Amino acid sequence: MQSTPNPETPQVMHIDLNSCFATVEQQARPLLRGRPVAVTNRLTKNACVIAASYEAKALGVKVGMGLMDARILAPGIVTLETDPPKYHYAYTKLVNIMKSYSPNVTMKSIDEGVIDFHGTRQAVNARPLTDVGHEIKRRLKEDVGCWMRCNIGIAPNRFLAKTAAGLHKPDGLDVIEHKNLRRVMAELKLTDLTGIADKNEARLNAHGIMTPLQFLDAPSELLKRHVFKSVCGEDWHQRLRGWEVDDHEWSTKTIGRQFVMDDYQASEEKVRSRLAHLCESTGLKMRYKGLCARGMNVYIRYKSGDYWHSRKAFKSSFFTDAEIYRRATLLFNKHPNLDYVVEMGVSCYLLETSNMNQVSILEEVNKEIWLTEAVDEVNRRFGNHTITFAISADSKTKIKQKIPFGSTRYFELLCQQA
Amino acid sequence: MENVVQINKTVSVVAFYFRNAGQRLKCFPKRMEFGGRSINFTETGMLHPVRKGSRMIHVFDMTDGTADYRLEFDAETLDWVLVYIADMQAKAQPGLGSAVYA
Repeated sequence: MQSTPNPETPQVMHIDLNSCFATVEQQARPLLRGRPVAVTNRLTKNACVIAASYEAKALGVKVGMGLMDARILAPGIVTLETDPPKYHYAYTKLVNIMKSYSPNVTMKSIDEGVIDFHGTRQAVNARPLTDVGHEIKRRLKEDVGCWMRCNIGIAPNRFLAKTAAGLHKPDGLDVIEHKNLRRVMAELKLTDLTGIADKNEARLNAHGIMTPLQFLDAPSELLKRHVFKSVCGEDWHQRLRGWEVDDHEWSTKTIGRQFVMDDYQASEEKVRSRLAHLCESTGLKMRYKGLCARGMNVYIRYKSGDYWHSRKAFKSSFFTDAEIYRRATLLFNKHPNLDYVVEMGVSCYLLETSNMNQVSILEEVNKEIWLTEAVDEVNRRFGNHTITFAISADSKTKIKQKIPFGSTRYFELLCQQA
Repeated sequence: MENVVQINKTVSVVAFYFRNAGQRLKCFPKRMEFGGRSINFTETGMLHPVRKGSRMIHVFDMTDGTADYRLEFDAETLDWVLVYIADMQAKAQPGLGSAVYA
């Protein structure tokens, strides 16, 4: 474990598109430029803002705010529903630009990614990384459009690079290295650090750590044994000093889909229809990843606020839509009728590599696999959910694919559906 | 506020312009005939492809300076479809309500 700041020349670049969805909408529609724009997943009064343009942010509109509140703060705000293919296009262009500099590119979400320049500097990128950063900004404008802007942060590790990218929004380019680390930290609040929200801030405050600078000076033992009470404390100690602790990929543990009901007084039949659609979406994702599952989890949230869930691990693995629906229904049938269902979700766990290509000695199993393959092929050609369960036929117009936050592992698949 | 009018009708695109985009020459609509009038586009917002099953649709977001237009070009049938017109001038008119977006 290192106790001094990482003296290495910064070689990690974090790129973050500014207010991504709103900016892409403004790029696509020139008349929206310079106006407050809010992007929501649904155009209903209860929807929340998932992206706001800088003009809207200047009027006090924040991400996560209800649409009604946003309209009060910015009466002329233009509200748009998400358009995933548009964002996918901008995402693809950004990835292509990033990959032209280094093979070690990690997309953290739909609008941000990291380029690790280690090992490429001598042969390919001998220029200063700030020059590369300015070039990326220029190429983004050329490839996607003149309204596109991005924040770029350069640092010795991913955490500090992300921190640097957030220093001067919009369109900033900042470098954090061992020489200016303390100066930068002195200007920040604890909650400006990624990963430190209210609860972690309270933990730190309880031990007399009120500022990022005090956090930086805190000994590893204090963070490990008293503040975080786990190895996370050591990780923070290293992270703040520019040593890399976040360079790892998490494997997929669960695959599922959830849905807030379109009708808060839905009949049992309608709820089952939505359940069938969720099972189809889950199956599609699972086969896309080449996985099968042994565990099934179903949860329901009622209008009264009550919550119910049931989970079961099965002996045999499954990946076909019919099997997922059958097993989900087994669990779903146990739910108490407390009130109307307003939200439900299906997820599969105990994932393992799919045995779909293996011919079974049981003819029935083979038939089901071949049927699934044929249905998938038709849906690939004519669009997802072209062939569905009869029970879920009306759900495909109600359950629209929305933009996923966080991982982009299903992004290609989801854009086919959108 | 803005007023978005869904059209979803085949239209005639009668003039094009070309622009160098990287190694390729890209083609964009310049003039469209719709509803008995001719609309000259002054700026291209964004061109992005959309897959509908195995079909490839090219979506053009265009503006003539007073309204935004969404045009879709089907690479299989070679048809141009005007999807909607978003008229920002409507913001001054009361009672038009909030945006409706495809």
